[in-house]
Amino acid sequence: MARIAGVDLPNKAVKIALTYIYGIGRVSAVEICKKTNIDPDVRINTLSADDVAVLRKVIEDEYKVEGRLRTEVALNIKRLMDIGCYRGLRHRKGLPVRGQRTKTNARTRKGKKKTVAGKKK
Amino acid sequence: MARSIKKGPFIEKKLYKRIQESNKTGQKQMIKTYSRCSTIIPEMVGFTISVYNGKTWIPVFVTENLVGHKLGEFSPTRIFRGHTASDKKAGR
Repeated sequence: MARIAGVDLPNKAVKIALTYIYGIGRVSAVEICKKTNIDPDVRINTLSADDVAVLRKVIEDEYKVEGRLRTEVALNIKRLMDIGCYRGLRHRKGLPVRGQRTKTNARTRKGKKKTVAGKKK
Repeated sequence: MARSIKKGPFIEKKLYKRIQESNKTGQKQMIKTYSRCSTIIPEMVGFTISVYNGKTWIPVFVTENLVGHKLGEFSPTRIFRGHTASDKKAGR
């Protein structure tokens, strides 16, 4: 089992396995394969240690993944909250940020339904 | 779709003129504006701009962090004061 950027990759095709890393999707996974000259359809367990090292190097040098990416995203949100703009206020309240309706739905942002007692039918 | 770079950021002409003028004279007094859709540009840093929200003017002190946002983003138009208690409860 290969370990890249602190993530254990499952034994799947390289182009799929790489997407288990936060910050790498299907497109960048194929891109990485092209850069490292590794067949994207070959399985992770069949890779040699050298191949894994090359993959690790490319990902570490050229991509922002896992912890660093997460802190960047968190900082961006924090910036919005600190300057007190509309998007920041929405983040603070945990409501949708991009103008979606909130009369119904918006459950992803608002979380599980909270039933209000005595609400009119 | 994002605005074409060729056009540059949108700023209401009147507001832009006033900012250029007060930048020349060096005095930064309050500017009242209705133009919520104007982009905040680096020249505006240090100004306090009063942005209309449909009812009152909200003073926005422009710092470097605000550059690139629109004026309206800092002047909320809706105030949520919480839900009213249900009628049933109130009647009891």
